[in-house]
Amino acid sequence: MNNILEIINLSHAYSKNENSITGINLDIQEGERVSILGPSGCGKSTLLRLIAGLEKPSQGEIKIKGIKASSRENLLPPEKRNVGLVVQDKALFPHLSVYSNICFGIKKNKTKDDIASELLTLFKIENLKSKYPHEISGGEQQRVALARSLATNPDLLMLDEPFSALDKDLKETLYSEISLVFSERKSTILLVTHDQKEAELMTERQIMMEKGSFLE
Amino acid sequence: MNRFSIWRLLPFAVLIIFTAPLLIVLSTLFGSYSENWFHLYEFVLADYIISSLILVIGVSILVLFLGTVTAWTVTTYNFKGKKVFEWALILPLAIPPYILAYTFTGLFDPFGDANNFIRSVFNLKDSTIIFPNVRNIYGAIVVFAFTLYPYVYLVSRSAFINQSKSMQEAARLLGLNQLEVFYKLALPLIRPAAIGGMMLVIMETLSDFGAVDHFAIQTFTTGIFRTWYGLYDLQTAMQLASLLLLTVGIFYFIERSSRGDGIYTSNNSTFSPNEEVNLTGLKALTAFLVCFIPIFIGFLLPIVELSLWAYEVNLGFFNNKFLENSINTLSLSFLTGLICAALALLINFSIRYKPSILVGRFSALLSIGYAVPGLILAVGMVQLLVYLDNLAFSGFDIVLTGSLLGLVLAYVIKTYALANSSIESGYERISYSLDDSSKLLGSTSWNMLGNIHIPLLKTSILTSVLLVMSDVVKELPATLILRPFNFETLAVSTYIYASEERMIQAAAPAIAIVLIGLIPIVLLSKMIRSSRPIENRE
Repeated sequence: MNNILEIINLSHAYSKNENSITGINLDIQEGERVSILGPSGCGKSTLLRLIAGLEKPSQGEIKIKGIKASSRENLLPPEKRNVGLVVQDKALFPHLSVYSNICFGIKKNKTKDDIASELLTLFKIENLKSKYPHEISGGEQQRVALARSLATNPDLLMLDEPFSALDKDLKETLYSEISLVFSERKSTILLVTHDQKEAELMTERQIMMEKGSFLE
Repeated sequence: MNRFSIWRLLPFAVLIIFTAPLLIVLSTLFGSYSENWFHLYEFVLADYIISSLILVIGVSILVLFLGTVTAWTVTTYNFKGKKVFEWALILPLAIPPYILAYTFTGLFDPFGDANNFIRSVFNLKDSTIIFPNVRNIYGAIVVFAFTLYPYVYLVSRSAFINQSKSMQEAARLLGLNQLEVFYKLALPLIRPAAIGGMMLVIMETLSDFGAVDHFAIQTFTTGIFRTWYGLYDLQTAMQLASLLLLTVGIFYFIERSSRGDGIYTSNNSTFSPNEEVNLTGLKALTAFLVCFIPIFIGFLLPIVELSLWAYEVNLGFFNNKFLENSINTLSLSFLTGLICAALALLINFSIRYKPSILVGRFSALLSIGYAVPGLILAVGMVQLLVYLDNLAFSGFDIVLTGSLLGLVLAYVIKTYALANSSIESGYERISYSLDDSSKLLGSTSWNMLGNIHIPLLKTSILTSVLLVMSDVVKELPATLILRPFNFETLAVSTYIYASEERMIQAAAPAIAIVLIGLIPIVLLSKMIRSSRPIENRE
């Protein structure tokens, strides 16, 4: 199998004196589903932002599909990495309908409709097509955010505590439904969470993180 | 409880006075139409409509471009001078369009300073003209756009600041570069705010008289003025004014409803502001020029040109006439400021003291005067005063007409909204529990107003007086029409000098107008400096 993500000795600091991440090494294969577990403030979200190209490392490098994407000297812009990121606040565009949100990143006009229809069906949100983000529930918003991220067919989809704002029952329904979608599409997933159960249900490999480093 | 207390009746009484001139103007639509009307209808009305439309469309496109691009540049990028540009971009608001129009012709006419300068530097013939003619509708579009774009800049900047970082990051991860994020996401997100700003610009453009008159463009305002002063037909002038008033009314309601739409903001609890992108080299220079050019054309250029003209007369402008006009202007504007502040204070107090939905709604209508062109207010006011003169002093012919009363009343109607916004926001910061405590301690309404509210609202009252003063100083058409015989203000003397092409003499009063107009700009820029986003990373 091909390596989708390769992280080599990665460190990052928001201020000069304190590293938020130190000496991270990680490989993720195509189609693999990996989670990073750790308490709040341990550097999980920063790691995802580094992979997405939203932060620059102070040391080490990140390769996506074998191409050097981040290092101390170089930073490939986020839009050229073909990775997706779904965050807790969903970041849906409030002025666009569900359909337009999903289509937002699709470049080819010809395929727009087909991709959007497939994702609307897959996430069971066909009936929300013309609704706006403020008109739908939190769980539905999360499905739209996931569908939007998959619409561009990213090589790696990263999920940053995507279900933490939802209630327990809804979470459990979504775990099984969304895991099924990921399996069907053979998506490569990197999930960060502080919820052990979520990590076990959604991914095949779990890594523990604390104070900016992976635990052995 | 007394249902008809003074606090309940006051807003209604003021509303009647404020709307009377407007209703008089509108009522003429249902009156008889003279031959002049049919002449105008047949030969010039289409020209008025077409040139007003070209003006509005051109100005709208240019202000949207200037306002949003400059706002995006100062909120997204970090470059040399950015902190100064953040507040300096509103400086052109201190220059009334008619003053920029005067300096434009002084600079760019065939024998204007700019053409003369280039000819002398490059040793060119006198017949060589470098700069295009500005005395046309395109020149007017540039003049209005570069003096009024700050309305769009202010609302756009505030809307861009309130956009969540996570939304723009999501767009980048969906494949959009920085430029695409601007026009595909950030711009559509601030659309309601930008449209609100644009509507204010349109209202100001349609209301202007000085600039279009100087450029000899046939619009509604110049048409109203000519019908009255050229054809001596007040009825037809008022009928034309009604059409303009209805048009402005449409834009006024679009602006109000766009405020209702608000701006799209993320409703999540993890809002964090966007991080500025550091620019260097050519990109930093481009960002610098994007912000500098509007300030240069809209503020620095007229200031430099006016200063050079004033220098040419070697302080000769500082004569008795200039002093008299300055005193007239300052005393009139101060009086108007005091009346507006007092009215706004009493009305906001009455809404708070005797809350009622009806009173609240009627009070909101009191601010409508700000949208009404000064020329229309003046036309309605003249008719109202003539009517009152006939009613009260039938034997003495004219007492109120042509007096300062009509002028001050027109100013009050036009600028009440400015005083009200300052005092209303001051009142929002006073807790209702203070009122409750005061009532429980036995205060009467006047006691509460005098001993609690006024001391707490001192800054708001002062701000409202200053805001009103700076606006009154700039007002031209209403002053021109309603002033008593031989009574001049700075705006009127600037207009008279400019219409006689005596630009050098017009410089001193114009500079004085700009300096006084800078007062609210300084207040606003202080607010802008304190409204930068705060980074709150976990």
